[in-house]
Amino acid sequence: MKRTKTVLTAVVLGTVMSLAVSGCTQSGGSGSGGAKQPTLAFIQGVAGDEFYISMECGIKAAATAAGAKVTVQGPTKFDPTLQKPIVDSVVASKPDAILVAPTDVAAMQAPLKAAAAAGIKIVLVDTTVNDPSFAVSQISSDNSGGGVAAFQAIQKAHPNGGKVLVISTDPGVSTSDARAAGFKSAVEKDRSFTFLGIQYSNNQPAKAAEIVTAALQKDPDIVGIFAANLFSAEGTATGVQQAGMGGKLTIVGFDAGPAQVEQLKKGTVQALVAQEPAAIGKAGVTQALAALNKQQVTAKIQTGFTIITKDNVDGDAKSAIYRSSCG
Amino acid sequence: MTTPVLEGRGLSRKFGFVSALDEADFEVFPGEVTALIGDNGAGKSTLVKALSGSLALDSGEIFFEGQPIVLSSPSQASLLGIETVYQDLALAPHLTPVQNVYLGRESMSRGIAGRLGFMNVPEMTNKSREAFEDLGATVRSLTAPVGSMSGGQRQAIAIARAVHWANRVIFLDEPTAALGVRQTKNVLDTIRRVRDKGIAVVFISHSMPHVIDIADRIQVLRLGTRVANITNSGTTMEELVGLMTGASTRTTP
Amino acid sequence: MNTTTEPELGKETSAIEAIRQKEKWFTRIVKMQAFQIFLVLLVLVVVFSLLAPDTFAQFSNLRLVVQNASILAVLGVGMTYVIITSGIDLSIGSVLVFSGVVSAIVMRQVGGDNWGVAAIGIAVSIVLGILWGVLNGVLVAKAKVPPLIVTLGSLGMALGGAQILTGGVDLRDVPSVLTESIGYGNVFGSIPLISVIALVVIVLGAIVLHRTRFGLHTYAVGSSEEAARRVGVRVDRHLIRIYALSGGLAGLAGILSLSQFSTTAIAGQSQTNLNVIAAVVIGGTSLFGGYGTIFGTVVGLFIPAVLQNGFVITGVQPFWQQVAVGAVLIAAVYIDQVRRSSTRRGNSQKNRKWPIFGRKSPPQ
Repeated sequence: MKRTKTVLTAVVLGTVMSLAVSGCTQSGGSGSGGAKQPTLAFIQGVAGDEFYISMECGIKAAATAAGAKVTVQGPTKFDPTLQKPIVDSVVASKPDAILVAPTDVAAMQAPLKAAAAAGIKIVLVDTTVNDPSFAVSQISSDNSGGGVAAFQAIQKAHPNGGKVLVISTDPGVSTSDARAAGFKSAVEKDRSFTFLGIQYSNNQPAKAAEIVTAALQKDPDIVGIFAANLFSAEGTATGVQQAGMGGKLTIVGFDAGPAQVEQLKKGTVQALVAQEPAAIGKAGVTQALAALNKQQVTAKIQTGFTIITKDNVDGDAKSAIYRSSCG
Repeated sequence: MTTPVLEGRGLSRKFGFVSALDEADFEVFPGEVTALIGDNGAGKSTLVKALSGSLALDSGEIFFEGQPIVLSSPSQASLLGIETVYQDLALAPHLTPVQNVYLGRESMSRGIAGRLGFMNVPEMTNKSREAFEDLGATVRSLTAPVGSMSGGQRQAIAIARAVHWANRVIFLDEPTAALGVRQTKNVLDTIRRVRDKGIAVVFISHSMPHVIDIADRIQVLRLGTRVANITNSGTTMEELVGLMTGASTRTTP
Repeated sequence: MNTTTEPELGKETSAIEAIRQKEKWFTRIVKMQAFQIFLVLLVLVVVFSLLAPDTFAQFSNLRLVVQNASILAVLGVGMTYVIITSGIDLSIGSVLVFSGVVSAIVMRQVGGDNWGVAAIGIAVSIVLGILWGVLNGVLVAKAKVPPLIVTLGSLGMALGGAQILTGGVDLRDVPSVLTESIGYGNVFGSIPLISVIALVVIVLGAIVLHRTRFGLHTYAVGSSEEAARRVGVRVDRHLIRIYALSGGLAGLAGILSLSQFSTTAIAGQSQTNLNVIAAVVIGGTSLFGGYGTIFGTVVGLFIPAVLQNGFVITGVQPFWQQVAVGAVLIAAVYIDQVRRSSTRRGNSQKNRKWPIFGRKSPPQ
């Protein structure tokens, strides 16, 4: 019994101490700010992801420049059941504005609407919800434009045209659907290219590989494949290798995290369409502060892309690679 | 002679190639204490398990009050009024003495509450306390888990439970093995009291003085077979040891 | 001789009992692990309240903490029963998703946005949960497959089934009667309805566990399956019922989740099973079976919930919550070990292995 109590006491004391430490840093931060320093909270779609970390870096830089304070929180998985409690807790901490990447268009609707009703300015970054009318601004990549950019990369490598294919993750994912649609519309404007359609890999590399080998069986003259996310790109490359077509066609991947850049450097993919998360973050801060200062806000902002290839990965495009820390 | 309340004829059971019971006979009479003795591995525990429904037999017949029966489960034996206190007690260690006494035979509340599964805890507590006091058992707490109690206390609870429910036959497998002097005396007194109620008691023990002290009849098992069935009058320890080890034989009562 | 000693011994028994009775209430509660962990929870609440009096210690905040713990609480009640039998149920998160998915599909097929449709959806979800639970129970009790393996298998089957039915795409057309009432509705002013439902489940679960024959048999099966079997408890049937209960509550949680999130969240809930198991164990329920309380489980759920909420509010990195909860979890199991070895006497349960790796099979 005595040992039992000792352990419990130790656990409690440990927790209390860690809290006390965190509390000190916390109160120090808010104490020095005086009356006017606005507080912002950034809620990521998933913690530890390079896309959101790069966005966090953009937010922090913009906030520091504007004299605002930022806290960052995120669920351990891209999962609304994990994100909702975090949103609720952030709302309870009463920040002036929240920048949030909702993990589900339906599930996050009510909690975020409630936050807006409580007087907090909401800026939706990257993803959105069913009815975003409560938000002061929505900022995201122009996913359709991303699809166009992906096609431009293929066009550049194969000026004579040919057949092109899209490997996406799952039907119903708004961002990748928009990318595929943008790609398709761009293909249809260039008569020399033929669009073979969109196939879904369910985010499994093996399935993507299967689809690609089958497609190459049928159409050995495919010149380019747009793989709309990481795992699709991996599987696509495997499929191309299996079909013995390595190097003959251009695979364009999406996003530019360390894994994707590794793929590019190894020659698995020939080009990457990089979003600009830092720009999204920066615009988010600008819009949030504008709303707080009762200035004009822009309801919808779309940011651009950078195309990364082997040629510019260590040069011009280096800054477009997503970061794993803001350091 | 009266009819045996429980009787086994030609009971056999093999475990692999080992015959734990080999054509063993056994009978117990109401109002008698029957001691079942034998060396380790003689088949005593197997016999008890077979006669209390815990173990299926390869062959042999069991009669209850003269009628042939098949004992397929311990609860069936319980319904006939046959209870067993096992060597390993078979109490649930996390439950209280009261819960152990009534486990599987809970008394339910009256009316709708009982239908919904609510138990009559006061009644179970009072009757358990009576059962322990009848036995003279020093059960220190009726609300602590039995796993936290000494071997003697747990033994007392297990015996009290069997006595509480048995109305025909009660098997006690080494009931005094874990007990101190006073508790042993309590158990032996209890056995006499149970016998006087007209219940048949089967007492399995390695302690020859206790056997001679309490048994009305002594049956000896050796290598799975009954080698002696004697009434306990003027029996000596030497004689019993001789029977158990096969040094002497005597088969008539 | 006999006649003089017996009444004396009897008196001794009752006398000791009477003394016990007096001190029993207080000391037993203090000794309960659930109570100690409750003190830890109180300390956490006090510390966070001192650190953030005008944000953490607000009714509106604590209301949301309770609301967010409600679905887990429903699952925790079933899990407490399962763990008391020395079993485990890893499938609850997947069963929740599966039941929610089928319920959403059925409600869409029936069409309309009224309580009739909602009632069908609720019934479908709970019945499907029970069916998964019965499957788990039969495999554990009759086929003697270890519960860890059985429920790991049904975890995959239920999740895979949900993905097959939907092609992996979340369904979001949940009737608004559900989202507006169960999901975000309030009673008595601002008490979330979903929390009231959870409270009803908790109270019923606790009454059945601590006051009825069903509860007693649950403890008995977990304490010593053999002892229960010998006195005629129908152990197999009881285990099937326990897993069915856990599955049925996962089905109920499925409809609660559907109402609260307006989506089937197929990719979600992947850690729900482990979070619920952690809460049950933190609350003092023994993984070895035979011991545990619903109260402890509820307290065990609020420790991670309060930690997360408090950390977010005080601006601590979210990862620290997992570190802290992990430490509390290990401490709780350690305490259980110490308690078990100090209360276990004699040799009645030597050689007991970690129960989740396999039930001890009955002799012969």
